[in-house]
Amino acid sequence: MNTRFLKFLYILSALLIIQSCKKSGCTDPNALNYDIDAQKEDNGCLYEDYDKLSLLTNLADNYIIPSLDAYKSRIITLNIHVDSFIENPSISNLTLLRTNWEDALLNWQDIGFLDFGPSEYILLRSQTNTFPIDTTELNNSITLADWNLEYASSYDSKGLQALDYLLFKPGYTDSELITYFQNNTNAKNYLKAVAEDLNQNINYVTNQWVSYREDFINDFEVTQSNFSTNSQGSSISNIINALCLHYEFYIRRGKVGLPLGVFNGFSQLELPELVECYYSGKSTQNLVRSINSLRKYVTGSSYLNNDNGLGLDDYMDFVNAEQSTQQLSTVIDNQFLTILDEVNNINGPLSEEIINNKSQITQTYQELQQLVPYIKVDMTSALGVLITYQDNDGD
Amino acid sequence: MTGINKWITHLTKNQVSIYPLVVFRIIFGILMFFSTLRFILKGWVHDLYEVPTYFFTYYGFDWVSPLSNPFMYVLFLLLLITCIFIIFGLLYRANTVLFFIIFTYIELIDKTNYLNHYYFISLISLLLILIPANSYFSLDAYFGICKRKKTIQAWQINIIKLQIGLVYFFAGISKLNYHWLIEAQPLINWLKHQSDFPVIGKLFLYDFTAYLFSWVSAIFDIFIFFLLIDKRSRWISYFVAFVFHIMTAIMFPIGVFPYVMIASTLIFFNDNFHKKIIDFISKYGLLNSSKSIEEKNNYQTKTNSVLKFFLIGFFTLQLFLPLRFMLYPGKLFWTEQGYRFSWRVMLIEKAGYSQFYIHEPKMDRKMLIQNRDYLTPQQEKMMSTQPDMILQYAHFLSKTFKDSCLVESNGEIIKMGRNPKITADITVSLFNKGSRKFIDSEKNLSEIKRGFGNKEWILDYED
Repeated sequence: MNTRFLKFLYILSALLIIQSCKKSGCTDPNALNYDIDAQKEDNGCLYEDYDKLSLLTNLADNYIIPSLDAYKSRIITLNIHVDSFIENPSISNLTLLRTNWEDALLNWQDIGFLDFGPSEYILLRSQTNTFPIDTTELNNSITLADWNLEYASSYDSKGLQALDYLLFKPGYTDSELITYFQNNTNAKNYLKAVAEDLNQNINYVTNQWVSYREDFINDFEVTQSNFSTNSQGSSISNIINALCLHYEFYIRRGKVGLPLGVFNGFSQLELPELVECYYSGKSTQNLVRSINSLRKYVTGSSYLNNDNGLGLDDYMDFVNAEQSTQQLSTVIDNQFLTILDEVNNINGPLSEEIINNKSQITQTYQELQQLVPYIKVDMTSALGVLITYQDNDGD
Repeated sequence: MTGINKWITHLTKNQVSIYPLVVFRIIFGILMFFSTLRFILKGWVHDLYEVPTYFFTYYGFDWVSPLSNPFMYVLFLLLLITCIFIIFGLLYRANTVLFFIIFTYIELIDKTNYLNHYYFISLISLLLILIPANSYFSLDAYFGICKRKKTIQAWQINIIKLQIGLVYFFAGISKLNYHWLIEAQPLINWLKHQSDFPVIGKLFLYDFTAYLFSWVSAIFDIFIFFLLIDKRSRWISYFVAFVFHIMTAIMFPIGVFPYVMIASTLIFFNDNFHKKIIDFISKYGLLNSSKSIEEKNNYQTKTNSVLKFFLIGFFTLQLFLPLRFMLYPGKLFWTEQGYRFSWRVMLIEKAGYSQFYIHEPKMDRKMLIQNRDYLTPQQEKMMSTQPDMILQYAHFLSKTFKDSCLVESNGEIIKMGRNPKITADITVSLFNKGSRKFIDSEKNLSEIKRGFGNKEWILDYED
């Protein structure tokens, strides 16, 4: 060892001693090895291994599968009530059927944004809850006793929204509606066909999830090909893309924006007939439910008992995602709460409130809009979900 | 003075072995063949050149547009064929010209697809046109289409080395910024998603790893060229480069770029190394080098002065382009003015969301544009963070609605006039520090001229 090297070591150690007068260590309270005495960040913070397996397992076992099952059992019950209504179209059976339909639709809001994997494969959302309903086509099908619900062209005349129309037919009193069904075998058959179709679709999805679960939590597609996680086709990418798409297009736009007229050219004229559940007037409660479920899902809460588990919010915290000096997860959750505040101020069906209380709905829409960049830009980018179809060099 | 002259002569006029250049030609041809094939097989010809209805052309190259179906495929097939001709060195000059033109043309169609390595390939293929990589171990030499030579002038190989060196050097220089060095951005974020990386994945959970990677890669990029040209450090630096590129290939979806660099840098090895490669190939009879008689005399080709000035201009431009960002005010990563063509690879994490409005003439009413009606998801994503593309898209919208009549749902008819006003609400997030407003949302974008001037309608980035 030459003297120059020794001299170097000597200076180095002297420097280290000077440095250590200020105790260095991990200064991030979120880290595992947070050192309360440390005054100087040594960049050696160790964080809990954000375990993707646990996240995906939690989402699958505590939210996705239970929510799909809950919806499925609603649909089974719905089918039972459809049967008894067809057998005996009475006011009491109609009321029961309506209540059960209402419950089924609310449960649908819990799973609407899970549009990936088996659900995406059979276009569950389009098959289950397309609105507005093409009433002309629906009535023609009944009159001619000619329908095939398998066809994509029939998606806007079937599903839960077709029931909204059939069970709350405009211009019919309850007793007139009873008479309508009593005298119309085709209508009864159509009602049954729609209910059975709903059942068949959710059955497919829950059956597929039995095997898909493994692939989902183990991120099968990705581990097969390479290690660039969260890339196109990975489980995280699937859930984020489905969530963003559903929120942006089918909640913000479909449930509120379109009927409000935001997308209606220059006139921005209201189009109240475009709301969900136009005939029953149940649009507001379904909007509330969809926001609540989305929030629950993002926070990784258990579907059945609301226990907080590993969710996308924890993942955002893990990568220290921020939005104007606050944690991104907090900003997103606050935005959910702001939206809920606004939505809770709506006291009637959206189709009416859009006309009578436009400022409130406009306010609600603006808050809904505000969430879009938070989830579409901040969240996707924090979680490394690239909407990539081609190579990129990260520019 | 004579020392410098001597040195310049040494680097330009000296006779050197052609072997490294021959191997480079073959490897380049093979790589391009497979990456073109990969591009076709992934369906990207369809996705990138047939699906979009609008293309973001480069300023000054607006006349470039894709060919109609099926001619884009014909073009890609042609590209594959030129690769084969280049590998075997048959009709080399014509094929390198053809390759350069086709490849560059394809890249000029849509800047959505801009990648630094495509730019690199365009430049390399341009340089290949100028040098006789077919003078040995090629069908051209075999058939006597060109003179067989075992030596070439030094500049003919050094321009390739210089080009590779510039790529690394500027890639390194561009890493010398606050975010990369002090915050370890964007790696500090990206690495956290990689904790399931084999063997060393757990290390990615430490912030320290991101800092280490950032600093090491910056130092690597800046010095690798100098280490590669020195024979004492060549093997070790090549090994480091190899490991570095393989790691990036596994971790990030950057396609063939790492392999292009791994293969290209082989050119720095000495003649013996390349002779072994050629001997290895000829042993298996793929291309026989020993058939024709060795030619002893070296042709002292006079380098013509046009070529000389072209190359001086070429490399001066290469030095200028990566530094042109300094002519613009504002934060480079935010405005991206002077960002492309500068070897900035994997430097930023940026995402955006844009809403465009078209305004009714003389009225206070505006209509929201559905971007997906005009752009592919990839185009929308790229456009939302890059100001020149935002402007182009606004101009496109203005042109689309120009002089048209729109019928509203209430029967009202709206005349759009000659130059409809376009505004945009855009939020962008840089390095996951929260999305914020990107441009002046009041500005009528259809009135702003395109060009290289400063885009003062981009809002300042506030930390």
